[in-house]
Amino acid sequence: MSLFSFLGTLEIGLIFGLVAIGVYLTFRVLDFPDLTVDGSFTMGAAIAAAMIVSGINPYIATVCAVIGGAAAGMVTAWLNLRFNILHLLASILTMTALYTINLRIMGKPNVALIMEPTVLSPFEALGLSNMYLKLIFVAVVVVMIGLAIAYFLNTQYGMGMRATGANPRMAQANGIVIKQKIYAGLALSNGLVALAGALFAQTNGFADSTMGIGTIVVGLAAVIVGESLFGSRSMLVIIFSCIIGSLLYRLAVSVALNADFLGFTTSDLNLITALLVGLALIVPHIRREQKARKAAALGGEA
Amino acid sequence: MISCKDIKVTFNAGLATEKRALRGVDLEIPQGEFVTVIGSNGAGKSTLLNTIAGDISASSGRLLFDAWDVTKVSAAGRTADVARVFQDPLAGTCGNMTVEENMALAYGRGKRGGLLPALNDDLRVLFREQLKRLNLGLENRLDAEMGLLSGGQRQSVSLLMSALQPSKILLLDEHTAALDPKTAALVMDITDQIVEEKKLTVMMVTHSMRQALDHGTRTIMMHEGKVMFDLKGSERSNYEVKDLLNLFAKARGDGEELDDDKLLLGA
Repeated sequence: MSLFSFLGTLEIGLIFGLVAIGVYLTFRVLDFPDLTVDGSFTMGAAIAAAMIVSGINPYIATVCAVIGGAAAGMVTAWLNLRFNILHLLASILTMTALYTINLRIMGKPNVALIMEPTVLSPFEALGLSNMYLKLIFVAVVVVMIGLAIAYFLNTQYGMGMRATGANPRMAQANGIVIKQKIYAGLALSNGLVALAGALFAQTNGFADSTMGIGTIVVGLAAVIVGESLFGSRSMLVIIFSCIIGSLLYRLAVSVALNADFLGFTTSDLNLITALLVGLALIVPHIRREQKARKAAALGGEA
Repeated sequence: MISCKDIKVTFNAGLATEKRALRGVDLEIPQGEFVTVIGSNGAGKSTLLNTIAGDISASSGRLLFDAWDVTKVSAAGRTADVARVFQDPLAGTCGNMTVEENMALAYGRGKRGGLLPALNDDLRVLFREQLKRLNLGLENRLDAEMGLLSGGQRQSVSLLMSALQPSKILLLDEHTAALDPKTAALVMDITDQIVEEKKLTVMMVTHSMRQALDHGTRTIMMHEGKVMFDLKGSERSNYEVKDLLNLFAKARGDGEELDDDKLLLGA
């Protein structure tokens, strides 16, 4: 792997760390499997790209992208909470609708951002090479957001969100309005994913209507890889294990694609992802089974 | 304190499975009274408790806490006044959160959840003090995951949690039923202490006649969705378990001894 592609891998891994945090918030914190992210990632990219091309400040464009993603998350929450549509199905509906909406936002299947100003433009005067600048910028943003989310999950509001997912009846008995927490959680999660999309579009120079496909699996892969490496209860460790999980996942994919003897090509990406997520799920399960068997055998002797 | 005015609850109204769980309950519970509620399965005890908690909304009638009409207020909205402990020890706490996090959640009951950290050292001192009362050694396990505790330990913590914030009403739904006799006695003991300390208005549903008479200041018996018998004062203190069993038998309309009084006597 060349230095260039290694840095590129890190950068994309970091950006998808935001997706992993978003997925962690819905799947793990709220226990609300949300597939909206496939659409909100693209939406973030589409809004940012469309606004930048029409001459709007990239920072304003990025904020709008986050708001758009948050709104998409709230639509999913609304479908589920107001009309009792199964959470998975509600999120698939929103995701499907977003595909069309994203095409409308861009007005065409893809928008190029080469030569356009981006959130990076103000820092170009620093004289760093573009490759390092992008990586450092993304790393700073992702670490700051990781810290903020970890702090948030330890506040009264954030803890109420965790209780909502873990034990809604208990949450309610302690005065937590669970619907409000689900709305807020889905908005936050999809807002983060849209931010990832907006950053991805600006660092890679394009937005494409199909770029969000498989976002959910990548996010989930990062969460699971992170979880299987760090078994901590600390929110800070958990959030950063999402980011590290995302980096490791990207590196693993990149190694698999670069190792000639494996014979994979870029088009095999989805199979590799499925295999990696599968492994990350299967290995802990087998370990638990072995542990239980050993414990049972020991108990038999005693 | 709690006034139920002709409260009716009907499940699946208009369907073949229609169930009239409460058929007009009128009940006045003054401030500081500890009411024990008995009755056979399906009599409406839990429905009454859940209606007061707000999990179930009344089909008709009115419910007031003092002058506050809570008939249409959500369960979460009532928690400024109401604390509760569930029958299932797993229901009252979050298994994947730590002991101190669970207590912090309960500490925030009835307040607006803000963006300040839910835990701090002052709170930990308070939680440790409270946990010491249990004599279970939990004061040294604040950061243990709740799921690692036994059912009895979890139920004891739930009970402490219900008293962390001042509230006026405590609702106990057979909160010792899932515990072994020794733990049940401990939990009941702490219940009495807390009620005494905080001068709470309490409603406790129980299956145990013994418990119903030994604790509290008033006993009501539910039957087919109505309050069938209301015992208080000196009349109550003269009552024995067998008198209650006779009442049960009368309620069933056959006047005979119950053949399942073991179940009713309980621990």
